[in-house]
Amino acid sequence: MNKCIIVGKPNVGKTAFLINFVEYLGVKKLEFNFQLPDGTKLKKKYTYRTALRELVDKTPHKTLSLQSVTVEMPMGKGKKKIQLVDTTGLIDYIHDSEEVRKAISQTISEILDSQIILHVIDGSAVKKKDFFSSPSEVDYQIAQVAHSKKGYVILVNKMDLPEAEEGLKIIKKEFSGNLIIPISAIHKRGFKEVKTFVAYNI
Amino acid sequence: MINLKFKVENPNQIIEMLSRGSITPVEAIVLLKEIDEKKETTSAKPPGEEKIEDIMKELDNLVGLTKVKQLVKEIQAFVEIQKRRQKEQLISEPLVLHMIFKGNPGTGKTTVARLLGKIFKQMEVLQKGHLVEVERADLVGEYIGHTAQKTREQVRRALGGILFIDEAYSLARGGEKDFGKEAIDTLVKAMEDHKDNLIVILAGYKEEMEWFLRTNPGLRSRFPIQIEFSDYTIEELMEIAKIMVEKRQYKLTPEALAKLEQILKDSQRKANYDKMGNARLVRNLIEKAIRRQALRLVNQKKITREDLIYIKGEDISEIEEI
Repeated sequence: MNKCIIVGKPNVGKTAFLINFVEYLGVKKLEFNFQLPDGTKLKKKYTYRTALRELVDKTPHKTLSLQSVTVEMPMGKGKKKIQLVDTTGLIDYIHDSEEVRKAISQTISEILDSQIILHVIDGSAVKKKDFFSSPSEVDYQIAQVAHSKKGYVILVNKMDLPEAEEGLKIIKKEFSGNLIIPISAIHKRGFKEVKTFVAYNI
Repeated sequence: MINLKFKVENPNQIIEMLSRGSITPVEAIVLLKEIDEKKETTSAKPPGEEKIEDIMKELDNLVGLTKVKQLVKEIQAFVEIQKRRQKEQLISEPLVLHMIFKGNPGTGKTTVARLLGKIFKQMEVLQKGHLVEVERADLVGEYIGHTAQKTREQVRRALGGILFIDEAYSLARGGEKDFGKEAIDTLVKAMEDHKDNLIVILAGYKEEMEWFLRTNPGLRSRFPIQIEFSDYTIEELMEIAKIMVEKRQYKLTPEALAKLEQILKDSQRKANYDKMGNARLVRNLIEKAIRRQALRLVNQKKITREDLIYIKGEDISEIEEI
């Protein structure tokens, strides 16, 4: 099955994007597969409301495992199954907690394994130099690695916030040469373009 | 930037170092990228599935069929362009790819259908691209209600691929009361229901298929692609014979070739040529020749390698009437 991995810094809205994007694709039953860094696997069903409440949070590193949802994308005559994988937020420095470090290692090995990368950047935090979610070295490195992948797109999130317009401009300059789609994960904006991108790359 | 003191070869080691906290995530990504680049230069990509170019080449290698090849290429280009247009969010034509194949037996209809299945699979138009070959008896039942059930069963088998209905005109031959009509109706409905996942090909003799379309006027618009398979010329048939024996690692002596050509020429004048002529006749002749060669050799005391390979003139014989 094709894997499509969602990566980015902590608090940029990866999980919120996943949940709302799956809803946008018209999936009725939201079922998450959790894969913990120690190898344990869990399955859990959510409604869209409980998922947003339980899995999305303002604290960084809310997600500390690979949590994936399998969806069907229309393809020519027929459908193809793909796995959308939400990951742990990546940082530039060495984290104090071993749990976070393990989760980050897991995410990085998953990046090596995946052919399609959705790289989420917080458009509203570009100028703020906010500690967690503003773009930094690790974002540039992801962009570098992604060149060898089949599909790579940068999703500039939080476009509903006023500061994000200018952030988008800066990102377009800094990451020029890559496909960039402005989105708003909580308002489901820009999802049509993301869907086209995913459908074309699987 | 970061000063890399480490030279690690194994990705697992890097991941391990990362979780122990001896390197930062950024350093880990840089190291992993280096390993990846090294790997790419040393190892070539593993051969994947059959590529579309290979299938097109296979098509080109078929003897004759000039018009058919052209049409298949047109269809392939059409599908490709519609997909591109879709990507650019331009209005794209719906991909209605149901087809009618007209031609005598042995003119390559099934072979071309099978290749089309592979092409559409590679182009991701069809999920599986397999070919399900059926005829009247597989679709038409014996009592009321049986037909729809049987037809649906065949459709189900063909989902994700191509349903190839041989001698499709026979579905309309029985007249108004025949169950064949029910099969056609069920089929048309199934084509609607599974329009994203099924291609139907109706095949049969040219005249009969044209009569079939006249008696069922609604069908013509549902099968927008019509391909005509003309009879092979004698030269083409000889070419086919050569390829056939080569594939089986046999060879024909000049006498055998001459005799084969004579038999083919004679057979074209016969009344039933359109029933059992063309490539099918060639195949039957070759297979018979191989059996006769075996019979000739089996009682021979000393058999050389040459003996095993060559088919002589005396091995070639006409096929008796069936």
